[in-house]
Amino acid sequence: MKKIIALILTTLAIATLFTGCGKKNQTDLEYVKEKGTLIVGITDFEPMDYKKGSEWIGFDADLAKKFGKSLGVKVEFTEINWDNKVMELDGKQIDCVWNGMTLTDEVKNAMSTSEAYCNNSQVIVIKKGAKISDTAKEGDDFKGYKFAVEKGSAGKDMAEKYGYEYTEVDSQAKALMEVNAGTANCAIIDSLMAAAMVGEGTSYSNLKYTVSLNEELYGVGFRKNSDLTAKLNEFFKTAKEDGTMQAIAEQYKVQAALIK
Amino acid sequence: MSFSQQLPIVFEALNVGFLQTLKLFFVTLLGALPLGLLISFGSMSKFKPLSGLIKTVVWIVRGSPLMIQLLIIYYFPGLVFQNNIWGSGENGRFLAAAVSFIINYACYFSEIYRGGIQGVPKGQQEAGQVLGLKKNQIFFKITLLQMIKQIVPPMSNEIITLVKDTSLARIIALQEVIWAGEAFMKGSNGISGQIWPLFFTAVYYLAFNGILTLLFGKLEKKLSYFK
Repeated sequence: MKKIIALILTTLAIATLFTGCGKKNQTDLEYVKEKGTLIVGITDFEPMDYKKGSEWIGFDADLAKKFGKSLGVKVEFTEINWDNKVMELDGKQIDCVWNGMTLTDEVKNAMSTSEAYCNNSQVIVIKKGAKISDTAKEGDDFKGYKFAVEKGSAGKDMAEKYGYEYTEVDSQAKALMEVNAGTANCAIIDSLMAAAMVGEGTSYSNLKYTVSLNEELYGVGFRKNSDLTAKLNEFFKTAKEDGTMQAIAEQYKVQAALIK
Repeated sequence: MSFSQQLPIVFEALNVGFLQTLKLFFVTLLGALPLGLLISFGSMSKFKPLSGLIKTVVWIVRGSPLMIQLLIIYYFPGLVFQNNIWGSGENGRFLAAAVSFIINYACYFSEIYRGGIQGVPKGQQEAGQVLGLKKNQIFFKITLLQMIKQIVPPMSNEIITLVKDTSLARIIALQEVIWAGEAFMKGSNGISGQIWPLFFTAVYYLAFNGILTLLFGKLEKKLSYFK
């Protein structure tokens, strides 16, 4: 008898853990205001979000702080596993993804996205002195080469579009490593990242980037049907008009990519 | 940036990461060692529904990947019940990881305990009864004592595996030592495209497991008084 009672009690204890206080009729804005924090999901991504000492700075981070201020809430940054960004949002571990995120169809389907604020493109990275580098002028010239791309990235979409033979790896950095190690001929990564990581005076000085495959846009992602998206679009509008956005962009040297 | 400039930065980041690894390791041990014993009692219970239930739970936990368990335990409450019970930020991630690891390792430990308890000859308990000891005295003073000696080698195996398994927690963005090492591949603290910090994390695991191996050797020697 004792055992049966113990069994019932444990089941009840577990059940109460999961029910609890999820208020269903609250809008996202009310939810964020009530708890007083906006939790921003990021990865370490210079110049958008990166650490200086213990503080997160960067073009995205600084703008996010300003946005939090306009809402009257504290901004908290939390590093996430990029593969799980949609789960992090829907599970309310974070309130938005603000990390130089390319607005792909997948992202737009899974999140409520803001208006674009930055331009970006996908570029092909190859080894310096590779035969192809003199002859290739456009994406189609790279057919038949082995590519490494980040899984779920805009680069992967490009590889599919051009019909390249590709392997999906964990991150853009691993894609570069594959080219460096010779396990792939080419990688497709963000132009912003390529500018920072590839070429003379960077950590991959023996690599270079060549053909640009597309034009794409950076945006911020919120939970589906969130009313925070409209709030951010308003904020972007005023930040563009009063010059705040331009000033921060110049501080982090991304003004060339900024959408006016 | 030259290697000698990188070294202190990388070293500091890896130390912070490894501290998180150690924290998860010790918290898991502290929780899983006693919980495993409880589960082993449950699976040996003569009350069939209880032992059946426990055996099913052990089957599920041992039979599915720890990585999936981490994802389910961390995201499931928020995704399905609209109630993220873990809170936000680093602490929530650690708590969810610790709970997943404790449940997972308690199930493995429980089977080792069961083997140890059932491996103590029945004659030992009978001798206790002849001496007029009570049931719990027989368990704690005779069975448990001899069981501990028997289970040291399999437990040391499992515990060393635990040290390395903590690296799985980075799937829910717990920033342990491998996460810290990988960060330099992409770019962190002004260092990017560096692969050696990731490989260097192995040194941390090796050193710590070396210490553990020595400790287990000593423990085994200390417990050799029965023979």
